[in-house]
Amino acid sequence: MDFRLTADQGALAEAIDKLALQFEAKPTEFRGFALLGHELDKQLEDGQYFDIAQVPELGTLSAAMAVERLARVPFTAEFALSMLVRPQLPGEWPRPLAVIDKGRPGRFVASARTLIIIEADRIGLARPDPNDLESVESLFAYPMGRWKAGTETAQLSPEDADKVRKWLRVALASEASGLAHAAVASAVDHLTQRKQFGRPLGAFQALRHRMAECAVLAGGVRWLALKAADTADPGDAALAALHAQESATRIAYELHQMLGAMGMTLEHPLHLWTYRLKALLSDLGGRGGQALAVAASCFGDARDTLNAAP
Amino acid sequence: MHFAWDSEQRTFRSTVRAFLADHLPKDWESLAHGPASQAQSAFSRNFCGKLAEAGLLVPHWPKRWGGRDAGAWTSFILAEEMWEAGEPRGGQYMNVNWIGPTLMRFGSEEQQARYIPPMARGATIWCQGFSEPEAGSDLVSLRTRAEKQGSSYRINGQKIWTSYAQHAETCFLLARTAPGRDGISVFLVPMDTPGIIVREIPSLIGEGDIHEVFWDDVEVPAGALLGAEGQAWDIARTALSLERVGIPRFALATKMLLRAVSILEQAGRFGYGAIEQAARARAACEAARFYSYSIVDQRQHGIPTGPEASAARFATVMAERAVHEFVVEHVPEALSGGEAMLLAHHQRAIVAGIASGAAEIQLNMIATDLLKLPREPR
Repeated sequence: MDFRLTADQGALAEAIDKLALQFEAKPTEFRGFALLGHELDKQLEDGQYFDIAQVPELGTLSAAMAVERLARVPFTAEFALSMLVRPQLPGEWPRPLAVIDKGRPGRFVASARTLIIIEADRIGLARPDPNDLESVESLFAYPMGRWKAGTETAQLSPEDADKVRKWLRVALASEASGLAHAAVASAVDHLTQRKQFGRPLGAFQALRHRMAECAVLAGGVRWLALKAADTADPGDAALAALHAQESATRIAYELHQMLGAMGMTLEHPLHLWTYRLKALLSDLGGRGGQALAVAASCFGDARDTLNAAP
Repeated sequence: MHFAWDSEQRTFRSTVRAFLADHLPKDWESLAHGPASQAQSAFSRNFCGKLAEAGLLVPHWPKRWGGRDAGAWTSFILAEEMWEAGEPRGGQYMNVNWIGPTLMRFGSEEQQARYIPPMARGATIWCQGFSEPEAGSDLVSLRTRAEKQGSSYRINGQKIWTSYAQHAETCFLLARTAPGRDGISVFLVPMDTPGIIVREIPSLIGEGDIHEVFWDDVEVPAGALLGAEGQAWDIARTALSLERVGIPRFALATKMLLRAVSILEQAGRFGYGAIEQAARARAACEAARFYSYSIVDQRQHGIPTGPEASAARFATVMAERAVHEFVVEHVPEALSGGEAMLLAHHQRAIVAGIASGAAEIQLNMIATDLLKLPREPR
């Protein structure tokens, strides 16, 4: 157990940070839902950042750290699945990736070159014909799309399906951590500047405590996401995803409540993070689905766990 | 960064577990119904002596004081295993975590020579005289007075919520020597000094846990003063920073959650509602664990701990709440003659947000020092 960054991790963190800094500000004229980061995507592609997980000195933990950092910028691109799930797929599959779960619209589906199709316990992969994909108007601050079906899918073995599900959970938690931290930071700015009753909102204990609780939740999501990315344990992945969805529910509600009407506008950037968080809430069966996965991994044999060697 | 235990850490944990397996009696869990109970306190005195002999009481202390400079991870692994086992060290965990280290930093040579060796041998119990009837979270308003009279101090006042007071040989006492925040001083006072009266307060949290302590014209020599007059704020801040991530509450909470789940599984009562709640509690425990580990890692590498320690503490409070609420809802028999350890955990868990300072104070610190929100007007 050592939480100091290695030299390679530190160098990567610095490079990702430098890249992300170019995309820190929402363009003032933007009043939409999905702020697409085409340039962000291009720079990540050019810098071969999508392959971080396969670099032995970096690995999946570094990839999760990159996803976590990039999710904090107001622009969005399909990096979470590319960095954390694509390296785990059997064979070569092109990016961007998107998930179709129960036939519902999904993030980045309209531009996806690989689809991960979830139907009950089965997972298949498909290379969709672009003509079979269409964009969908959505409040979620991602580009949402629908698959008009028809493409042949390659069904994964149960083992590969479990592996993909596990890494989808790690990707979900890593992205949620970045989104939650950015949302909290955005709300802190507002509470620091906005005055009512003669003092900043952030000086009212009723809001300070709730904001502090949101920060604690976001921090917990980060630790569980990083741990799961490092251990690649299915139980850790399920715990991370569950805590991410549980915390996201609370954080999204609290921050909008604290921002009042300002948080309802498209001028303020808060929705770019909170509505991405909300988009993650239904992934993989939502909290109920993660709870069953936790039970399968962590409670399957509670007595053995109790007596396990360190 | 990596999340795997190294071989030294794994070996140390195994050593501690083996020691516990060898030294805890078969009926330990029924004994461990409260760290301050008569039965457990008697057991703990003997147990801590054996721990010390095995080099497992203060391994993280400097060699000079009976340790082996083993570092923060060793200390925390030890604390995890002890707390998970029901804290067989009783009140002596405080000596190990913060009273000893605080005396090493602020104590005079005479104080160190007098008080630290018995702690390292596992032969003494301390209590902390902080809270008063009118000074809980607002510690600065404490009223207990220590008046200098020649070469001694005369102490008058009242402390409350004092754990282990009826068993303690010595009190780490905060008393006022002058007005204001900078007028509070620390005294190391033998509890058999004439004028000290201890009265147990019956409580939800177990036998012998909390007390009122009355200080009626208690005379102590000037040498009982720790550090300088008025230095209590500095000293207490050091002590509390060690105590904030001192008890790995998540360890026992996780164990009791698994035990409750096991009971439900065996009884065919682990249905979907319970699964969902148990999973959320398990995740909260893991979040608290790694938050706490992040602070331990900072200590290990000599990095000053900041407001993240408050966040770790609050995450732990949330984990304790999630587990004890799960048990009350799904294994209610725990509070009515069921498994002794589930009851013992409940009694410890309900004070998680109160003991060592109210959790709301931690939230204030997170808001101000971590998030940099504007301060509240005073």
